[in-house]
Amino acid sequence: MANSNNSRWVNYVIFGLSIFLVFCLIFESYIALPNLVAWLGRWHPVVLHFPIVLLLLAIFLGLTGKTIPKTLLPLATIMALITAISGFFLGTDAGAKGDLLFWHQWLGGGTALLAVIWYWLHTSGLDRKTYTKILQVALAFLIGFTGHYGGMVTHGEEFLAFPTNKTMEAIPENPLIYQDVVARIIDESCVKCHSSNKRKGEFLMTNLSQLLKGGESGAAIVPGNYEESELVQRLHLPLSDENHMPPEGEKSLTDTEIQILERWIALGASDTLLLSHLDNNELLVSLVDELRQPTEQRTWAELPRVVDTTITRLNSDYVTIKRLASNLDALSVTMYMPPEYNSDLLISLQPIAENIIEMDVSGLPIGKNEMSLIVSCKNLEWLEIDRTPVTDIETDTLKVLSKLRTLKIYDTEIGDSTLSVIQHMENLKQIYLWKTKVSSAALQKLRTAKPALRINTGIDPERQALYAKKDSISEN
Amino acid sequence: MEEKKNISENPLKVNRRHFFSQLSVGIGSLALGSLLIPDLFKGSTENILKQPLGLPHFAPKAKRIIYLFQAGAPSQLETFDYKPTLRKRMGEDLPESIRNGQRLTGMTSGQDKFPLMPPKIGFQQHGESQTWISDFFPHIAKIADDITVIRSMHTEAINHDPAITFFQTGSQISGRPSMGSWMSYGLGNENKNLPSFVVLTSRGKGNSQGLYSKLWSSGFLDSKHQGVLLRSGKDPVLYLNDPDGISRSDKRHLLDHVSSLNKLHHVETGDDEIESRIAQYEMAYRMQMSVPDVMDISKEPQSIIDLYGEDCQVPGTYAANALQARRLAENGVRFIQLYHQGWDQHGNLHNEMAGQAKDVDQASAALVMDLKQRGMLEDTLVIWGGEFGRGNYAQGKFDPENYGRDHHPRAFSIWMAGGGIKPGLNYGQTDEFGYNVVENPVHINDFHATLMHQMGIDHEQLIYKYQGRRFRLTDVAGNVVKDLLA
Repeated sequence: MANSNNSRWVNYVIFGLSIFLVFCLIFESYIALPNLVAWLGRWHPVVLHFPIVLLLLAIFLGLTGKTIPKTLLPLATIMALITAISGFFLGTDAGAKGDLLFWHQWLGGGTALLAVIWYWLHTSGLDRKTYTKILQVALAFLIGFTGHYGGMVTHGEEFLAFPTNKTMEAIPENPLIYQDVVARIIDESCVKCHSSNKRKGEFLMTNLSQLLKGGESGAAIVPGNYEESELVQRLHLPLSDENHMPPEGEKSLTDTEIQILERWIALGASDTLLLSHLDNNELLVSLVDELRQPTEQRTWAELPRVVDTTITRLNSDYVTIKRLASNLDALSVTMYMPPEYNSDLLISLQPIAENIIEMDVSGLPIGKNEMSLIVSCKNLEWLEIDRTPVTDIETDTLKVLSKLRTLKIYDTEIGDSTLSVIQHMENLKQIYLWKTKVSSAALQKLRTAKPALRINTGIDPERQALYAKKDSISEN
Repeated sequence: MEEKKNISENPLKVNRRHFFSQLSVGIGSLALGSLLIPDLFKGSTENILKQPLGLPHFAPKAKRIIYLFQAGAPSQLETFDYKPTLRKRMGEDLPESIRNGQRLTGMTSGQDKFPLMPPKIGFQQHGESQTWISDFFPHIAKIADDITVIRSMHTEAINHDPAITFFQTGSQISGRPSMGSWMSYGLGNENKNLPSFVVLTSRGKGNSQGLYSKLWSSGFLDSKHQGVLLRSGKDPVLYLNDPDGISRSDKRHLLDHVSSLNKLHHVETGDDEIESRIAQYEMAYRMQMSVPDVMDISKEPQSIIDLYGEDCQVPGTYAANALQARRLAENGVRFIQLYHQGWDQHGNLHNEMAGQAKDVDQASAALVMDLKQRGMLEDTLVIWGGEFGRGNYAQGKFDPENYGRDHHPRAFSIWMAGGGIKPGLNYGQTDEFGYNVVENPVHINDFHATLMHQMGIDHEQLIYKYQGRRFRLTDVAGNVVKDLLA
């Protein structure tokens, strides 16, 4: 007797929750949740695992013809209802509903109600009927789809997609500024939340007309005036500001990316603008160029791992090895003149040669041995060998350092043949070569061959003369 | 020596807070609660320990800073902030709408008139950047396109000591670590044979204010981060050299024994200062070799002597210190702090400033040019400026030929060069009276945040917990001035 009394109560509860759920789903737009109820919605991610497991277990038992334990199905059904209702609370609290959430909500509601129907069939003793079996299979599918959509809502649409290489297609030679550059920045950083699936702030960023239309807080872009454009303003807010975009926890746009958006807006936010339409001294041209270049951090990410103990071991009183930043495997090496110089100190760095990005051995009596270590640092970007006894013979090997950007070689014995080596170093951006044996003709040749290379030949002699003069202020 | 975070790993050094914070983590029954709210029972120590010390948080633009501090506060109106209105309205009373309740020092608060006083010195625009620079600085004018002038600095302090303490430590009240100490703490030594924070002082003929060693103190940070004052003359560091008759190997022997005794004591007491002391002895031993070498400018060629001016051969002058600063920077000193005293012109401003400017103009510009030709301007940040500005009205008697200016915190000018700062930029503006900032204000906290950012430090992440409270150089304020960054 007690038993049937219990099951009566269970029936009441299931019936009541079902009615409540149906009511919620139908009158969704009229419902405003009190805070406490909205808070209950937060439990959805915790609760939802119970009905998934319990229902799938019951379905498995049902389909394989085993007896379903008496309490399993009612418990599973009640949990399904509670999950659906809490999910509804959570969804209502979240504001704008995207496509994903819409489907998740109705599928979830459907799952719970289907479970109720099954429970009803079960209590009516209709377990063996074919339609009950079909219902169980359908329920299993519903659970799968609901869970999948739910997962996409929380983890993003691509969470379960097969991992693909994130190297994006190269920007075409003459890109459409909007389509090939701007849209790509937006796709990467914004669309995750501002697409028809999530619709954060009722703002879609998937195409230009939606971008221009703006969202809840009005127009996002004022063509021709980036300072007035809310999109740009929000990018510039301090990270701690609630309105900063992308929100906390997401990757911010780089300065280059922000500047590109600014210039594009300043130039009228058009979708037909081609790079070739722009003046060569327009900032956007160099910004797009910059975007094409792999950033240092990206290339450094591919360096071999180097552990702290190795760094500590190779460090000594006169050799300082440091990571360029605490999370990087890129190293800088600086050596200072010890009381007794010994080339072994440098040679011993061979195990970490590939990780060395910056090397400063200026002022040291380096020779052939040290030079062979230096050229084995194939990722070297910054090299200081100024005030050393190097000559053209040693510098000849430098040509293998294809990533070198900065070379300090002033106050050395190098001559013209070093310059012909330098001429073939593609990535070299700047070189310091005053007080060397380089002839002015060779220098001129280098200048014409590599107009972008910044060549520092010391202080302008005119300026030097001016400084050497006694100054006038003292006299008055 | 490996730097430890301020929460010691020594088992004996457990205090009450530490004990409770560890205890709370240990209680397994609270696991569920901590699952739901990850921060609920987490001891605060973990956050501080997350970032390893001695390394930048991100790849830095600048590896070192040379701070040319002009102590006493040079007037912005006679240096970099050109205000023709002052000449047009010379002698008129400073409008109350401009002064707007600004407090004054006791030196002028009694004045019943505040007559506007134009600079006696002329101004020209220089370089492609068209930077206004006064005729006091013909050499700095030549590097106008290498420097960024910020005309919108402001502070809260109105007197020298709090103002300079604010600039150096981020607080007007003394006791906090100096910014050089913070850098040393956060980034460690680049050269293990020299201190990472070095101070050089010089003095002009102008009206001077005191400099105290608290300005380069490490405060509550480990004392090895304290600035080391290098003196001019025979003994740059006092008591560094061995007494006569003591050989270097004797010294080594002595140090090894002292150090083993110290280590015993450290195991007994767990006092981290003992470890610092051992490290300092070792560094002093190496400094016996490295310091004389760095300080010896005899190998500098004549062209460099010409560049900095012949004063640079006279130890103790600003020019000598500027040259020294370059040599220290070359040798991996992370923070080089120069002070030049004598910029407090309450009277006889024109003549005194002419003298002060002559002391620093050529050497400051030479330093920037010298760093540039060595490729060091790429990763060395040079800063030139005082602790506040000066008022736009005459102090005392109104005499355009011989006037003075009182302190003024609301607007003043500094300049920076290199270290990833945009060159040739004119940043920020004051009103036509040069009294209030009207565009892009830069507070001292913002200045500090920007400096740290260039050095690869997130100013909100470099934290030291002391006496139950967390401290930063910028304390609870400061934003990186992004517009300044190249």
